[in-house]
Amino acid sequence: MFISLPKLILVLPFILILPGFFLLLAFFGWKNEKISFFEKSALAVPLSLISVDLIVLLLARINVPLKGLNLVGSILIFCLLCFIVFQFRFRKKNQKSESREKRNGSESFFDFSFWQTVFILLSIALAIFIRTAYLSDTILPSSTDLGHHMYWVQKIIDSGELPDYGMPDFIIGEHMIFAAVNLISGVSLMSAMPALVLLLFNVAGIFAMAILLARLFKDKNIIAFSFFVAGVLYAVNAPQAKYVSGGVVGNVIGNMLIPIALYFLYRALKEKNQIFAGLSLFSFLGLLYTHHLSSLILIFSVAAILFVYLVLNFKRVFRIIGDWLKIFLKPAPIFFLISSLLYLLFIFTPSYFNSAAIGQATGSPLKVTRIGLNFDQIEMSVGSARLLLGALGFLLIFLNIKPKKIRYSFALGWFAILFVMAYKPGWLFINIPSDRIGNYLFLPLTLLSAYALVRYFEFFQSAASRFFATVLLFTLMFFVITDGMADSAEAFKTRPQFQEAMQTFHSADYLAKTLDTSQDVILKDHVNIYGDSWYKLFFMKDYKYPLSRGNLSRYVDPTKPRETCTRDMISDPQSDKGKMCFSETGVNYVVLNAQFEGNSFEKYPEFSKVYGSNYISVFRL
Amino acid sequence: MSSKIIIITTIILLLISFSVLFVIEAKNHNYDYKKSWSVVYFDNPRDDSLDFTIENHQGGKAEYDYEIFVGDDKVIDDKIKIEAGAKQKISPVIEDEKSKENKITIVVDYKDVEYKIYKNIR
Repeated sequence: MFISLPKLILVLPFILILPGFFLLLAFFGWKNEKISFFEKSALAVPLSLISVDLIVLLLARINVPLKGLNLVGSILIFCLLCFIVFQFRFRKKNQKSESREKRNGSESFFDFSFWQTVFILLSIALAIFIRTAYLSDTILPSSTDLGHHMYWVQKIIDSGELPDYGMPDFIIGEHMIFAAVNLISGVSLMSAMPALVLLLFNVAGIFAMAILLARLFKDKNIIAFSFFVAGVLYAVNAPQAKYVSGGVVGNVIGNMLIPIALYFLYRALKEKNQIFAGLSLFSFLGLLYTHHLSSLILIFSVAAILFVYLVLNFKRVFRIIGDWLKIFLKPAPIFFLISSLLYLLFIFTPSYFNSAAIGQATGSPLKVTRIGLNFDQIEMSVGSARLLLGALGFLLIFLNIKPKKIRYSFALGWFAILFVMAYKPGWLFINIPSDRIGNYLFLPLTLLSAYALVRYFEFFQSAASRFFATVLLFTLMFFVITDGMADSAEAFKTRPQFQEAMQTFHSADYLAKTLDTSQDVILKDHVNIYGDSWYKLFFMKDYKYPLSRGNLSRYVDPTKPRETCTRDMISDPQSDKGKMCFSETGVNYVVLNAQFEGNSFEKYPEFSKVYGSNYISVFRL
Repeated sequence: MSSKIIIITTIILLLISFSVLFVIEAKNHNYDYKKSWSVVYFDNPRDDSLDFTIENHQGGKAEYDYEIFVGDDKVIDDKIKIEAGAKQKISPVIEDEKSKENKITIVVDYKDVEYKIYKNIR
C-alpha cells in the first residue's frame, strides 16, 4: 500500500510540473529578462494542468486509448516538441548570452530581503500546516462532491475514453487530470490522491496570486503579505481547505487559473507583449475546459477591468483600443486564438456549451439563493478581517488612483464586478447561486488586503506619534489574526469520521459482490449516511446508480416539480405513494443509517434486513 | 535573498504534507485500524438461504452470542469467538417445514450491542 506514495511523488512532477516547464522553456528560454525563476515555478503547475488536459483531449479525439503508456509517451512528445521550439528560438541567443553574463532584471525583482523571505516562508509553512492539519481528519475519500467527480474519473480509467456526461453539471477538465495521475501511477482514486492533487492546486493558487500582485504593484512587501492573506487567513473556510477536502474540483482549479489568466493579460497589455497575450488565451482555454462559473467570473472580471480603464481614460479610448488590438493581432495570440477555436469546435466541446445550460445561468434570478447576498452574508463568506482590509485597500487605491496606470483598474474593476455579481446579480442578468459567486471575492480581496496592510505599515511608520501608531497597528493585526485564523482553530476540534466512512464502504462492497445490478435496484439515504456518494464507484453501472434520497430541501422547488419517490420510499414506504414508487422504480434494496430510519424500517413486515452493522442497515423488499 | 529558497522550501513542505496525509489515509483506510464495530450479514441476500457471517472489527478477539428465531421461537442459542479483523461464516441448520413462510431472525450480541438481521422466507 505504501509503495503508492513514492509512485505518486514521482508521477505528480512528471504530470504537473514537467509539461509547464517545457512550455515556458519554449516561450522564454532558460533565462529571460521577462520572466523570473520564481514566476516560472509558480506558472509550471497551472500550465502543466492545461497542457495535459489538451493532450488528453487530443488523444481521445484521434481515438488513441487513454492508457498509462500512451499518456507518458504523449507528454514526452509534447516536452520534446517544446524543446525543439526552444532550440529553434533561443539557440543563437543562448550562445550570445553565455559570452556576457547579464543580470536578469526579473530575477532581482523577486530577490527578497532577509526579513521578507522569513515572513514569506513562515506564511507558506503556516498555510501548508493548517491545511494539512484540517485534511488529516478528512483525508479518507468520503466527501459528496469528490465522490461524484471520481465516478466520472473512474469511467475514463475503465473505458480509456472520455465520458458522455449527458448533463451540464460536470466538465471534462475536472476529471482528466485525476485520470492521468491514476493511469500513470496506478494510485487508486479511493486514496488520498484526489485530495492531494487538489491541495497542490490550492497552494499553486497562492503563488499565482503572489506573481499577479508582484507584477501589478512591483512592491516586494505586497508580495510577502499576499502569502499571508491568501495562505494563512481563513485557510480552512471555503474556498480553501474545505473545498480541497470537499472535492469542489472546478472551484479549486478555477481559483488557480483565474489569477494566471489575469497575470498574462496584465503583462500583455502593460508590456505590449504578444507571447503573454497568447498565454492569456491559453489559460482562458484551460479554464473553459475546467469550470463554467470560473470562466464566467473571468470574462466579467476582464470586461470590468478594461471598462474601468477605458472610462478613466475616456479621451484616449480609441487609441487604447487600437493599442490593445495591435497586441492581440500578432502571430502568437492569433495562433492561440485559432487553436483554441479549433479545439472547442473540432476536438472537444464542453458539455455546457449549449443554449439550455447558458439559459439556466443567465436571466433574472428567481430563486432565493440566486437573488444576491446581503452585507452580512458577504461578510460571512469572505471573513470580517479580509472584508475590512479589502475595503481599506479599495479606498486607498481609489484615493491614489492614477488613471493611466492599468493596475488601478485591475484592483478596482475586479473587486467591483465580483461584488455586484454577488450583491445584485439581477443587474447583470446572472442566474447562479450567489454564495458560489461570493466565494470568488477572496481573489480581489486578497489583492486589496495585501495592498492595504503594506500601505498601513508605511503610513504608521512615518506617523508623528509612534506610540499611537504602534497601538493602532497592533490592534488591527490582533483583529486580523484572531478573526482570520478562527476557522483554523475550529479545524482542530473536528472529529474524524473514518469509522463511519469505512462501514459505508463495507456495505457498498457487500452489495456490489452479492447483488445482480441488472435486476436489483438500490436506494440509499444520502441525508444520514456519511461518504455515500462513493457508493457508485463500487458498482460503476451508471452515474445515477444507486438511487439516492437527497437533502430534503432539494425536493421543494418553486420553479418546477421535482421527483419525490427517492424521498417517499424512505420517509413513508407503506404509504400509497411509497408503494407506487417502489413499483415504478424497481427498488428492492434500501440502505439506511442504522440509528435513524434503520430502526423504523424494522417494523415494516414487507422488508427483510439482510445486513446490519453499527452504522448501516440494508433492507430487502 | 534568492527566491529559490522559497520555492525549494515550499516543495519540501509539500512533500512532507503529502507524505503525512497519504500515510494517515492509508492507515485509516482499513476496517480495523483504530475502529470498533461489527457486522452481521446474510451471505446471499437475494435468496432464502440462511448462511450468515459475523465480522469482528472491534480491535481485539471477541466472543459473540448468537440466537436464531423462527417466528418467535428460539431454535439456536450459541457462542462464537472470532479473532480481531477476522470473519466467521455460520450455516444454521433449520428444518424446512419450520422455516417455510416464516420470519427467520438472527440476533448477535457483543457486549451491550445487538446486531439483528432477518429474512421473510417465501
